Amino acid sequence: MKIKSEELISSVEQKRKEGYTYLVKITAVDYTDRLEAIYFLRNLDNGKEEEIRVDLPAKNPKLASIMGIFMAADWYERELSEMFDIEILGRKAKRLLLEKWDGKEGPLRKSFVWGKPYKSIEAPVKFVAKWEEGAK
Amino acid sequence: MALTKINIGPVHPSTHGVLRLVATLDGDTVKEIEPHIGFLHRGVEKLVETRMYMQSPSYMEKIDYVAPLSYDELYVATVEAALGIPVKERAQYVRVVQLELQRIASHLLWLGTAINDIGQLFSVFMWCFKDRDIVLKLLEEATGGRMFYVNMRLGGLNRDLMPGFADRTYKVLDYLKNRVGEYEEYIESNPIFMERMKKLGVMSREEAINMGVTGPVLRGSGVDFDIRSAYPYYVYEKLHFRSQFETAGDCFARYKVRINEIKESIRLVGEALKKMPEGDALGMPIKLIGPAPKEKEVTVKRELPRGEGMMYMVTDGQRPYRLSIRAPSFINTATLQHLPNGHRLQDLFPILASIDTVMADVDR
Repeated sequence: MKIKSEELISSVEQKRKEGYTYLVKITAVDYTDRLEAIYFLRNLDNGKEEEIRVDLPAKNPKLASIMGIFMAADWYERELSEMFDIEILGRKAKRLLLEKWDGKEGPLRKSFVWGKPYKSIEAPVKFVAKWEEGAK
Repeated sequence: MALTKINIGPVHPSTHGVLRLVATLDGDTVKEIEPHIGFLHRGVEKLVETRMYMQSPSYMEKIDYVAPLSYDELYVATVEAALGIPVKERAQYVRVVQLELQRIASHLLWLGTAINDIGQLFSVFMWCFKDRDIVLKLLEEATGGRMFYVNMRLGGLNRDLMPGFADRTYKVLDYLKNRVGEYEEYIESNPIFMERMKKLGVMSREEAINMGVTGPVLRGSGVDFDIRSAYPYYVYEKLHFRSQFETAGDCFARYKVRINEIKESIRLVGEALKKMPEGDALGMPIKLIGPAPKEKEVTVKRELPRGEGMMYMVTDGQRPYRLSIRAPSFINTATLQHLPNGHRLQDLFPILASIDTVMADVDR
């Protein structure tokens, strides 16, 4: 099921009323020109599953929070916002969940260059060994 | 009374990994717990995108180092689904045997460490480790590795079972059956254990579903939902599998579910070995350039020892374009924000033990 990002809360609520009471996972895929967020829902009584897909622009993507409907969305949303740089509306900015650095670029975005040196890793003072000094 | 904040971890013997908990206390009553995770974040999902399909299984095993074979199988099954490769019948039986042995080993490790966290009953810890090692010996014989196996290949296995494996396994299963009964008797006649586990960290059925917990934690709250029976894979349908669940929703219920799952797994292994057909079980040798993927995106789910594991893969030629992993420990650990509230500080670790987290699985 593909929906627009404004309809997210209403359609998730609708699905929940239909019996899809279990949120399996929230994830996203970066297709470089657009992002796709996917909500996996499940009906625990009969095992039926539903995927809600939301297309998002690559620049400044914004998603509404569904934490009011599913408590399970808590950490999934934080992971999503951190890994894909998606702004989750209606949630206070909290510390980063998984990363231990600035987290300004979403590491799971395709534009994120793997293995880019990080500033703070560089030693502040260049270390010169004593024997090297002597050699000069 | 003023609230106190204390910091537990990241390196603490009872967190079994690197988990930091910031507890806000009123006296010694827990008001709020803030779990800090991510100390073991390796970026598995990003790393997989840079590799060919069959370069990743050995790395997948390290996601959950207590049950590596289960993750190995989950990943290879995802690739099989994407490439459209069927699994040979004997290989399906062998996989079920190995997965269930892995589940027994994982639950035994949990039992030992959890009992140790709860009442310092260290002898149970040593017994469980000894018994787990017997199971690991069997897996070592079957796969060649003691901790990390990498035994799954596309369509089958790396090694078939050795002749005489079934007889040796029956002996171990008989021994384990008695041992698990002994553990149960010993543990449940221990008043310290019973008093500390009952009515602790209670999660109602509705809460459990809303919080999205999985595995024994979900089944401990009265939800009879197991991937093995809800979406049967391999030969679970032919093996008369019965999922185990309890209704109390407290720490004791979660313990009971795991104990019953060990018994059920023992039965499943025996039954699978008896019904196992002769034939070829070997899979394709690892070639970096494999067949082209048939599906653009696949979702595969499995019942891992810690709960439901799910992989969602978008394929792109010879590499995954995106692999999203639903780790059971991740969502179970999130409940730590709610479960210990209102309990005393010393009850925090029994609750943490009862949800059975592996930190490498949480952080990925």
